[in-house]
Amino acid sequence: MSSVDHTREDDGPEALAAEYVLGLLDAEARAAAEARLIADPDFAEEVAFWRAHFSALDQAYAPVTPPADALRKIETRLFGAEAAERAGPLARLWGSLALWRAVAVVAIVLAVAVAVRPDLLRTSGPTPAELVASLQADDSPVHFVAVYDPDHQRLRFNHVSGDRQAAHDFELWVIEGDKAPVSLGVIPAGQSITVAVAPGHRGLLHSGSVLAISSEPLGGSPTGQPTGPVVAAGDMRTL
Amino acid sequence: MATVSPELPELMKRVALRDRRAFAELYRRTGAKLFGVCLRILKDRGEAEEVLQEVYVRVWQAAESYDHAKASPVTWLVAIARNRAIDVLRSRKSAASSQTGDIDDAAATVADPGPDPEAAAEAKGERGRIDACLDELEADRAGAVRLAYIDGASYQDLADRYRVPLNTMRTWLRRSLIRLRECLER
Repeated sequence: MSSVDHTREDDGPEALAAEYVLGLLDAEARAAAEARLIADPDFAEEVAFWRAHFSALDQAYAPVTPPADALRKIETRLFGAEAAERAGPLARLWGSLALWRAVAVVAIVLAVAVAVRPDLLRTSGPTPAELVASLQADDSPVHFVAVYDPDHQRLRFNHVSGDRQAAHDFELWVIEGDKAPVSLGVIPAGQSITVAVAPGHRGLLHSGSVLAISSEPLGGSPTGQPTGPVVAAGDMRTL
Repeated sequence: MATVSPELPELMKRVALRDRRAFAELYRRTGAKLFGVCLRILKDRGEAEEVLQEVYVRVWQAAESYDHAKASPVTWLVAIARNRAIDVLRSRKSAASSQTGDIDDAAATVADPGPDPEAAAEAKGERGRIDACLDELEADRAGAVRLAYIDGASYQDLADRYRVPLNTMRTWLRRSLIRLRECLER
């Protein structure tokens, strides 16, 4: 800051910066102050000075509980009505999964998140009964998390870890009880993938079905049954 | 486990990276404070509810520009709420109710820390330098500055309350601000 000037004018920049922070400037003067804030670093510093000091008065604002639907309304404004309504527990977890990709125990995270935050489960509205499966195996670095959306017949995958062998693909199978595995096709490359589920396969994806991934030659198994090792598997469950 | 709730600065970073879950958590932790700000300034529940939504929309949009070195998250959030609430306040067409008239009622119920011992202790313990410097001003002048900041009173509101011409109020306040400035930099 420049040297202290004890003959500050009361219409000088110090008072102006304070008036700006206080909210006392009329529209025109405020627009001018905002322009100055960008152009004049000394003025910007002055404004920051007042802001920091005046913020000590913020404790005068007593917290008051807002209406219960405020967050939903905010999310509707930002992300759209469907996103706000249907951004149920899974969408939120999904977003966080992407951040926590490095953490190997995603399945535990899913279980713990729901257990400690039951409020994540919405009870209102026609929420689809999405199914989730954490696909892993002992001695295998491969880890996928799959979420099945029955309303849209879509499978979303998050590839958490484990690379494909050279010249190999990951093929996805669904296994009901004792029946032979049914191929759902090769899983496309990528960290977050969505695939459509063919009409004939939709009935196979329900709570208790097992999803399994085997390492197959490029393009998938030539025989219609798994030919390579199962590198990950998990059962589908509702939250 | 990573599910233990992050601190506000971490939440702010995630919001800047467009993490909607972090945004919802940020709202849960700070919504009551910002609603309190809106209510105090607007003194109208319906308007405060509307403005609260606008504030958080603004928070989402501006999160990238939040600089943790410059202000704590709550300070930054309160500033956004204050600014937006004052904007709405100023744009009210009906000047029927003076801001300061309502302030006397509001001040009686809100400013008294009596019923809440915790708030009282906090209020006393965390007095900023601004409080000490305001105490050096005449009571009316200090009162005017507080009304301007906390309640968003305009120059006209203050002139009405202290029954002086508008220009006189401007001069008084600016001189008070300069004295505050000198006190604060000691």
